Amino acid sequence: MISVVNKNTAAKRNSYLRQLIKDIIKNRWLYVLLAPGIIWFIIYRYLPMFGLYIAFSDFSIVKGITGSEFVGFKYFKYIFFEHRNFWQLVENTLAINILKLVFYFPTPIIFALMLNEILNIKYKRTLQTLIYLPHFVSWVVFGSIVITFLNPSDGIINQLIKAFGGQPIFFMSEPKYFRWIVVASDIWKEAGWGTIIYLAAITSIDPQLYEAAKIDSANKLQLIRYITIPCISETIVVMLLLDIGRIMNVGFEQIYVLANPTVYSTGDVISTYVYRVGIGNGRFSLTTAIGLFQSVIGFSLLMTCNAISKKWFDRGLW
Amino acid sequence: MKKYTNRIKGEIDSIKVTSYIVMTFFAIICLFPFYYIFIVSISDPQFVREGQILLWPRGFSMQAFKVTFQHARFYSSFRVSVFRTIVGTSLGIAISSSLAYAVSRRSLRGRKFFMVFIVFTMLFNGGIIPTYLVVRYTGLIDTVWALIIPNMVNTFNVIVLVNFFRSIPDEIEESAKIDGANDMVIFYKLMIPVAMPAIATITLFISVYHWNSLMDGVLYINTPNKKPLQVYLNDIVAAGQTEDLFGDASARWMPTLSLKSATIFASTLPILVVYPFLQKYFVKGIMVGSVKG
Repeated sequence: MISVVNKNTAAKRNSYLRQLIKDIIKNRWLYVLLAPGIIWFIIYRYLPMFGLYIAFSDFSIVKGITGSEFVGFKYFKYIFFEHRNFWQLVENTLAINILKLVFYFPTPIIFALMLNEILNIKYKRTLQTLIYLPHFVSWVVFGSIVITFLNPSDGIINQLIKAFGGQPIFFMSEPKYFRWIVVASDIWKEAGWGTIIYLAAITSIDPQLYEAAKIDSANKLQLIRYITIPCISETIVVMLLLDIGRIMNVGFEQIYVLANPTVYSTGDVISTYVYRVGIGNGRFSLTTAIGLFQSVIGFSLLMTCNAISKKWFDRGLW
Repeated sequence: MKKYTNRIKGEIDSIKVTSYIVMTFFAIICLFPFYYIFIVSISDPQFVREGQILLWPRGFSMQAFKVTFQHARFYSSFRVSVFRTIVGTSLGIAISSSLAYAVSRRSLRGRKFFMVFIVFTMLFNGGIIPTYLVVRYTGLIDTVWALIIPNMVNTFNVIVLVNFFRSIPDEIEESAKIDGANDMVIFYKLMIPVAMPAIATITLFISVYHWNSLMDGVLYINTPNKKPLQVYLNDIVAAGQTEDLFGDASARWMPTLSLKSATIFASTLPILVVYPFLQKYFVKGIMVGSVKG
């Protein structure tokens, strides 16, 4: 009896394999197209995930991964309970992102509503061209411009301050200004580009809704309040959930360009610290542990937000 | 009744006027940095030193550009950036689009698995250090390939392309199959021309990424003359290492602001030149991206 079952499964497996081979031969060109991309993903996206093992070992470049001793949660205990800067890094990361949620997040929505009020198509397009431009310029260029503008000796902002008889302000070396400079420069660079998604949502609103409301003699503000905003609310909430899911990540390049050692107390974030101490000082295991902490929190937050989105709107975030 | 219509009219105007003013102001603020950098770089360095440049250029001098272009590291980093942009974009779009096409086909076994395999990398990653070690063990550290290969494929771009290929009607493929064409021929001769708007958009996005990317240069390149333009720019302008520039005797009297501005302007020019083309495609691209598969 057993042997019959075995024979059956063996036969099944055999026929499955044969089918698979037949299928691969039949669709061989599809697999040829597929292979380079998949191999790339395995090497440069999945291999690093296995490399996270070094967070649990005393890794050094000389000893290699296999020669390094397994130490369990040693580094996690260290970063949670003894590390001098770790909680400061988490605080800075969260503080910058919360400020961005409060001040950056609503800006593109308001701008999109305002652009929608501009009926002269040519003028509207010109405005769009101008406000999208900073998005396509690198953080180095944009950050350099910000730093140049805020320079205490020849920066344009301080020239204005001096012209009105004030004392020049050392914006880039005062910890208390740093987070605000990050948020303001982010609004400056990205808020224009951010309007695209909301403008797309506004364009897809049925014009009949407005007609009907106008018959009921609704005024402009009421049209925005009771038609436009409710119609784009799903987009708004989805974008908000995505941002909350990414609350542990701050773009490396923006901080790397704008920060300097005098403002690390408020501006050093996880990614810049991992780079400086991990690659700069060769403390690979410690910084991998910090990176893993960040990835796990980020992953859980995204999954939670996705579940919320599925529950509310019947669709996931991706 | 008449009074009532007036009230509506008044409100319409105030919202409209506010919108016009705020958006115009913001657009000027967005353009101003580029304008300012430009006028400073072409103004007479004498006026720049005295802090006299505010809204209009004063005097005319190409001296700042001359010094910028004489600097050896500007050339080497410009070359590195051009190379990585051309090669990185070609490889990136070729691999992304063929992968996306394969995954979008119903005849591919396990296409659902491959899709999850790709999307998962957007949610979770190994992080900076493990990725650095993989780049190191694959022998790319301190070569131009470290700027091309580790970020050659962008998951979001692949998903946009998959959605686009899925939206192409099956009949095109079926009729070609009846005529005896294989998948490779169908992909190159039929699908790429049809998907051209999406491919062009993604190509522009990838090339802008390569031109602007700073992080990989910072992480993977040590030798000064192998560094891409953005890293050079960061060294000169943000970190203020202008000593190199002032090594040249003719530059010693030059104000830093002039040199910084000229360097920033010269490295942004390629973006400003392709921007009109980008402008034409990117809105379309975003629309494509919003189609969910």
